[in-house]
Amino acid sequence: MSPLLDVIAAAAAVAGLLAVGALALAIGDGVAGAAVAGRPIRVLPLIAAPFARAALAARTGSTTTERPDGAGRAVAPALLAGLAALAMVLLPLAPGVALADPDTGFVVYSAAVAFVMIAVFLHGWSPNSTLPLHGAYRFGAVALSFQIPFLLAMLATALPAQSLSIVRIVEAQASLWNVVREPLGLPIYLVVGLAVGFWGPLNLPDGDDLAGGTSAEDAGLARWLWQVARLSMLVAVAALGAAAFLGGYFGPILPGPVWVAVKTGLLLAAMAAAQHLLARVRIERFVGVAWVLLVPLALLNVFVSGAFLL
Amino acid sequence: MTTEAVLVVGAALFGIGVFGALSQQSFVMLMMGIELMINGSLLVLVAMWARAASGSPDGQMLAIVFMTVMAVEMSLGFALITGVYRVRRADITEKLRKLKG
Amino acid sequence: MTGALIDLSFAAFSLVAIVAGVRVFRTDSMVRAAFYLLASFAAAGGIIVLLGAEFLGMVLILMMAGEMLVMAIVMVMYMMNPAGLNPMVMVHQPRTAVVAGVVAFLAIAGVGLSGEVPSRPAPNPAAATADLGRELLGNSMLVFQTAGVTLLATMVGAIAVAAPRGRYGDAAEGSEEPGLQPDEEASA
Repeated sequence: MSPLLDVIAAAAAVAGLLAVGALALAIGDGVAGAAVAGRPIRVLPLIAAPFARAALAARTGSTTTERPDGAGRAVAPALLAGLAALAMVLLPLAPGVALADPDTGFVVYSAAVAFVMIAVFLHGWSPNSTLPLHGAYRFGAVALSFQIPFLLAMLATALPAQSLSIVRIVEAQASLWNVVREPLGLPIYLVVGLAVGFWGPLNLPDGDDLAGGTSAEDAGLARWLWQVARLSMLVAVAALGAAAFLGGYFGPILPGPVWVAVKTGLLLAAMAAAQHLLARVRIERFVGVAWVLLVPLALLNVFVSGAFLL
Repeated sequence: MTTEAVLVVGAALFGIGVFGALSQQSFVMLMMGIELMINGSLLVLVAMWARAASGSPDGQMLAIVFMTVMAVEMSLGFALITGVYRVRRADITEKLRKLKG
Repeated sequence: MTGALIDLSFAAFSLVAIVAGVRVFRTDSMVRAAFYLLASFAAAGGIIVLLGAEFLGMVLILMMAGEMLVMAIVMVMYMMNPAGLNPMVMVHQPRTAVVAGVVAFLAIAGVGLSGEVPSRPAPNPAAATADLGRELLGNSMLVFQTAGVTLLATMVGAIAVAAPRGRYGDAAEGSEEPGLQPDEEASA
């Protein structure tokens, strides 16, 4: 029974990490919003706000639409949360310690990010309603555009490691973090990360301009679950970004897991700030920038980090 | 998991693909059939590689060529669908009695 | 992984691959069909991972996610049913197709089961990914480059065929709805 217990323990660990991260991001978002708006930052109400939203969601009834795809509506949030968990499993927490370390960790993570577009499309398509479908198509355009820059930005981090394993990618940063070695990588990754979690300036599929987009027909717990799944995905993106670019668990004095938390928190703080400091980008502008600017920059990044290693 | 079992699964996927490619009217559904056929072949190929290639990477190389074929088939298929739609307003095979533009 | 676990996962993946594969052509909505095809491909990718070609399986899954989305979008772009949720049946020669499918399955499975396959498993399965990488950028560099050039040519060709202003005129002309009668041309 030992393997089964291991699996249960790993699942609990991933769920715990994601829950803590999602809560931190929700609170940080509230703090950033208050700071940017110039409101006084009152700690207790800001900490209580996510719980209040959850309680409200639990007390709100669900809605339905005409001829929805019931299975799709149920599966989409679970799929998104599952993808976040899949990415989180790969995260190295301390030297040599990750819940799973497949040889192809990089490809597994990329596949998880690629499936985000399936989850969002499913979520927007399944209610059989106009605004969610618009959101789904928007994310189709966004997601197909960010795939290549994402893959190239991550690929550059695999070069110094000479491996596709995430654990090896972190180990290769013992002397020099990738953020220094390939300075273009992290900005590209962060832009793509905002798009992966459809957050802040790149919240195109679920934006307020579409009355909530793919979530427009959701209410109550279903809506809350989708939000939690999205926050989890952002946490996973930030955690793996910290591992791939900021040296993961490397750092002076403090123990490794603390550094992982600090660096992940740093990236999450940047995301929370972007939500309130940057205006929403028009979709055609993002698509244009992704193909015309981000792809060449990401290629340049690969070449530069390759030249660095010669 | 025996090689034979994987071969049967691959053959089943290929058979389903043949059925789809022959029976569907819509161009895209037809392409789904072709995709399933390529997928079945890919499965058989990898099974053979795992069983009989002594770990030589040549079989995996061939699989990568298969994937290239898949990508080429999809993109050219979609381009042709777009082109045909422009000229004929056609979205199903029955609308294309003659191929001349 | 232990043998029993591999067998169990293989059975589950095979079941998903085949059932979802059949459902692709038995469902009445095209977007659903795309999702089923994706499920079938993901399961096949799982089997490929189980067979030891970890990289290939994961890349297959990664590739198909994007491909399915493009498929779903193209389908609703040109088909007469924008959201892809209304039921429709668009099939021709179903009997012939079933017979052909079954014959293809029996023939290939028959060959597979009757043939003698030598047993030469990889001495070091864990190194499959690294071996593939060395082969791709070593001895088989030419194959790799050819695949790349083929894809480039495909991109150029696809854009040339589908470009809005090409030999087939302006894109705006194509924005008309297709007729609901499928056989306008045939009856004329």
